[in-house]
Amino acid sequence: MTRTAVDPCTTAAPEEDPAARRTPRAGLLAAGLGIALVAALTAAVCLGSTDIAPGHVWSVVLRRLGGAAARAGTDDLIVWQLRVPRALLAALVGAGLGLVGTATQAMVRNPLADPYLLGISNGASLGAVAAIVLGVSADSLLGLGLSAAAFAGALVSFALVWCIARRGGGFSPLRLVLAGVGIGQFLSGFTSYLVLQAGDEQQTRSVLFWLMGSLGGATWSVLWLPAAAVAAGLLALQARARAMNALIMGDETAAGVGVDVTRLRRELFAVTGLLTGVLVAVSGAIGFVGLMVPHLCRLVVGGDHRRLLPLSALTGALLMVVVDLVCRTAMDSQELPVGVVTAMIGAPVLLFLLDRRMEAGA
Amino acid sequence: MTVEIEDLHVGYAGRDVVAGVRLMAAAGEIAGLVGPNGSGKSTVLRTVYRHLRPTAGRVLLAGCDLRTLTPGQTARQVAALPQERGSDFELTVREVVAMGRTPYKRAFAGEDRADRESVAGALAAVGMAGQGARRFSALSGGERQRVLLARAFAQDPDVLVLDEPTNHLDVRHQVELLALLRDRRRTTLISLHDLNAAASLCDRLHVLHGGRVVASGTPREVLTPQLLAEVFGVRAAVTAHPLTGDPLIAFDHREPLAAGGS
Repeated sequence: MTRTAVDPCTTAAPEEDPAARRTPRAGLLAAGLGIALVAALTAAVCLGSTDIAPGHVWSVVLRRLGGAAARAGTDDLIVWQLRVPRALLAALVGAGLGLVGTATQAMVRNPLADPYLLGISNGASLGAVAAIVLGVSADSLLGLGLSAAAFAGALVSFALVWCIARRGGGFSPLRLVLAGVGIGQFLSGFTSYLVLQAGDEQQTRSVLFWLMGSLGGATWSVLWLPAAAVAAGLLALQARARAMNALIMGDETAAGVGVDVTRLRRELFAVTGLLTGVLVAVSGAIGFVGLMVPHLCRLVVGGDHRRLLPLSALTGALLMVVVDLVCRTAMDSQELPVGVVTAMIGAPVLLFLLDRRMEAGA
Repeated sequence: MTVEIEDLHVGYAGRDVVAGVRLMAAAGEIAGLVGPNGSGKSTVLRTVYRHLRPTAGRVLLAGCDLRTLTPGQTARQVAALPQERGSDFELTVREVVAMGRTPYKRAFAGEDRADRESVAGALAAVGMAGQGARRFSALSGGERQRVLLARAFAQDPDVLVLDEPTNHLDVRHQVELLALLRDRRRTTLISLHDLNAAASLCDRLHVLHGGRVVASGTPREVLTPQLLAEVFGVRAAVTAHPLTGDPLIAFDHREPLAAGGS
């Protein structure tokens, strides 16, 4: 291996250096995404059944942030009580899904893994559907009736998957996925049964709407939990970003650079499981974001988790805010469930990008 | 730094794959592990880089029991090149090599000058200087193996552990890799299938068979026709290599020995 050794591969196809520009580009990209997110949030608050001028929106928001009391007027109500919490919830849920997607893909070492693969969302769905069918009113439990039931369901499936995945040396990618899929399907069976038992059409509709995901329940009082969960999740994952880089190369590689692999996977599963539970509890099982966002980000900035985690969070937030805006405004008469739109937009975008990547010689 | 393996037992599902291995690599020595498939070579190596935990016995680094060290402390002294070689994730060559700095970094710490120099030095050492921006998944097998070795160098270890590093490489790349190990010599534990390569590279060989060490010594002492018959179940003649003088094993490729050595 002298320095003069010439590898035929390098001379025949001198590859351009896309990654050489990555570090400054990641910073620029983050700044751009941040600006886009603010713009999208503003648009989401301006647009709706009645349009409100951006200047007016910001003046209401700044006045409220300054601690001023409510001022009479429907604009104030619409902006501060309805649209701002909803836009913020969309951003939080999108950011959280971006994070859990990135972490799940590293945890099971598969760039196409979906965070819902691990069964958490199925438990949450069962909890929520049970609450709807058994007639728990949405206003009970401090207005958190459905969310509380969904989170309880998420915890049950988390506990079941944990117990199964830890057996036999534990938390290998295969065991995690098999446990997750198995428990998920098991709980889905109960959900389907309950849907069939639903008393009337209204119940069936609310169940379906919930299963497809919605941000309609946003109020200031439900925001703090996902906000805290996303912030804590980002910190916990970012602290493990280097170890996750090693993990995606393989368990032995990770062990060789001093990572306690079983412990790392256990921690990642705990963080992603709880965060997923919170997200699904407040918004339903919004599909495809957790799969698509990390993958898109990886295509642009590469696989280093120190960059990937924050960028996935930002991208997820931006995407969800835009998608929710589309859902609210696309049709005059009714609102579309966000999960429907994420799948309709997300799947073709992902396929298109994958295709281009393949042609570029992946 | 010496590595001593004392009465090592490792089992999967209640069955001992390694049953009482005892071997040693002196400081700066290249120690080769050879033996048929399933003889326990990889398993022994995995306990040294702490992918596997011994069920009994111990591994000593410079006299210090591995169990008294944290994974990070171990990784600052021992770097591994396992058989895993790849990833569907979009990592660049540079990012893969920078992984070697993991045991030196705290959470949230960025890369400092020492890290960058170490990564650049490791890439240069394996002849991949200036190629850090290439995608790891787009490299040829030989290049990949060099990059993974660079990652091990970036770890700045006293001990290198390599599990079949020449597998799937063409002859030229095999020779280059072994030359690199010889040039940048440090205490090395290496498993090799190619006995001629092992004879040329290693100071001492440890022959594993059925989870035990059945012979240890210099390649010349160990690689005898009798041992090859007993352990590998093949007929072979051992001569001196006409170019290098190393032991040269010429196998009889027409048929295995009737009873085998197993």
